[in-house]
Amino acid sequence: MAGLTKYIIRRVLFMIPVFLGVSILTFGITNAAGDPISLIRQGLKSAPPQVIEALRVYYHLDQPVYIRYLYWLWDILHLNLGVSVSGTSVIDKIGPWTLTTLELQIPSLLLAVLIGVPLGVYSARHQYSKRDVTVTTFALFGYSMPTFWLGLIMIIVFSLYLGWLPSAGAAGITHYWWGSQFGDAIAHLIMPLLVLTYVELATFVRLMRGNMLQTLREDYILAARASGLKEGTVIYKHALRNAITPIVTIMGLSFGSALAGAPGLETTFSWPGLGYEFVVATYSLDIPMIVGLTVVITIMLMIANLITDLVYGLIDPRVRLS
Amino acid sequence: MEKDTKSDVPTTQEKKVTERREASQWAVAWRRFKRNKAGLAGLFIVLFFVFIAITSPWLAPYPPRSYQSLYEGDAGQSPSLKHPFGTSNSGLDVYSEVLHGTLGDMYVGVGATAIAVIIGIVIGAAAGYSRGGLSDVLLMLSQIFYTIPLLPLILLAARVFLILVAQGFGLTLIMLLLGVFGWSTIAFIVRGEILRVRELEYIQASRALGASRSRIIFRHIVPNILTPVIVTATLLIAGNILTEVVISFLGFGDVNTSTWGLTIQEGVAYIRTQWWVCIFPGLATLFAVLGFNLVGDGLSDALNPRLRD
Repeated sequence: MAGLTKYIIRRVLFMIPVFLGVSILTFGITNAAGDPISLIRQGLKSAPPQVIEALRVYYHLDQPVYIRYLYWLWDILHLNLGVSVSGTSVIDKIGPWTLTTLELQIPSLLLAVLIGVPLGVYSARHQYSKRDVTVTTFALFGYSMPTFWLGLIMIIVFSLYLGWLPSAGAAGITHYWWGSQFGDAIAHLIMPLLVLTYVELATFVRLMRGNMLQTLREDYILAARASGLKEGTVIYKHALRNAITPIVTIMGLSFGSALAGAPGLETTFSWPGLGYEFVVATYSLDIPMIVGLTVVITIMLMIANLITDLVYGLIDPRVRLS
Repeated sequence: MEKDTKSDVPTTQEKKVTERREASQWAVAWRRFKRNKAGLAGLFIVLFFVFIAITSPWLAPYPPRSYQSLYEGDAGQSPSLKHPFGTSNSGLDVYSEVLHGTLGDMYVGVGATAIAVIIGIVIGAAAGYSRGGLSDVLLMLSQIFYTIPLLPLILLAARVFLILVAQGFGLTLIMLLLGVFGWSTIAFIVRGEILRVRELEYIQASRALGASRSRIIFRHIVPNILTPVIVTATLLIAGNILTEVVISFLGFGDVNTSTWGLTIQEGVAYIRTQWWVCIFPGLATLFAVLGFNLVGDGLSDALNPRLRD
């Protein structure tokens, strides 16, 4: 167990440079946009010069860049994310958005794994058969599809032509199904959930099929078969265990990137999650909001990666030794 | 070693033989690739899109970003002989936009991948060859770029720098951003392969036989690295095209150059009545990405010695 503790400490320590790297990148890019005051000022052109000067001092704009970065980092480490350009506290806004994103991402990831892994195994067991080709093609289209575009097609079909499902938002005032809040939430969730699940599922099917095919060629599988074990035991007890470990990594990675990486889909469905709000904030150059969102996304991403690594270390003892 | 397998070849011709065998290695890969129908179909799709991209200035009936149809009274028309993919509400000929968009998106997809491959090879090779401090720093750098939330940072950078950059370089800027942010996978592969290959017995054997450093690098290590890099790069082109389409769909791309995502974005507001504006550029994206993915998969199968039978 000492090995595992050391492994955990190493992984946690590794988060520090990653966080610093992201913070420097974000700080650098937002500062390249120019003087933040003048950016905000486009909205309030009538502000008197004394106010501008006071703002400059307040935001430490009279200091050199690296000092400003340290001030900025200090605030972030105290979760003091400031006030957005629209005047609301950034941290208060981000909480509900995170929940909305998770409400979409967690079910879709679970569904994708639960459907994708068996499909991949099935496909590998019947390699080159018609069923394999069907599954692989299905997965390949999902893999090559622009997510938001599939969402648009769903909206055209199910919202505009059939009128079955709402096309935007996570909840409505007129409750969509059975007049209940829960039914309404489900009705809003269905389309983005299906699209996201399909696209994520494709990755798992491809990966699982590939891993399974490689594992089935290993000598120990041959040995297991030669010793007269049932095919089911060989597949599910011996091959699957080895083939499934990379799935954990990909699950963690897609969860991490899903926290931030679905801005296209969230925008298509006007889903008020982190991705959509990031797009809105970035478009209007709302710097405190952009920074706040980036920090939250990065922290969650790092936590997701950490958990992935730990799980990986638990199931694969070779990892924590190296 | 070489004489064992081909003992009828005299020693004096050894160099010639190795060259021939090396060529036949690629021939074997091509033979294996040809047998893979899906990969071959992907290759045709990719070649088709490359052809469209090159000839788009002559093929397209309207110049890029031209609202000419509006003045011809054809705005918002459904697909017809004159406008095969219809026109948008503001008078864009969707067919021309899709053709011009092919050039734009191929430029970004291939260009960004080329940048990522170059950066990835340099950093990965340096991390694999050097020992101690430099190696750790480069590995850490790759890890950072692997972990960061890519799409948000690219969106942010595109938004900020497109304000600063002079008109006309928008698409190149997107390409640079995708390349500069997207090299980590290549770097990991290159580093991993170098670390793996350099300790292999046949490398030690050739070192013991007195092979020079450059011979080891170019004869033994480079071909080993090349295979996974080619496969990853092909898949990366697909990914970069997808990302570019998302970026321009969200309105962060170059609004003065035709891209598929930009056309989709213009259609969204009128999607209820004019579905064709969104559908056709999306289909083009789907098939281009599909083509590169198929080629990538086919190459991966053809070049993987473990699957060789």
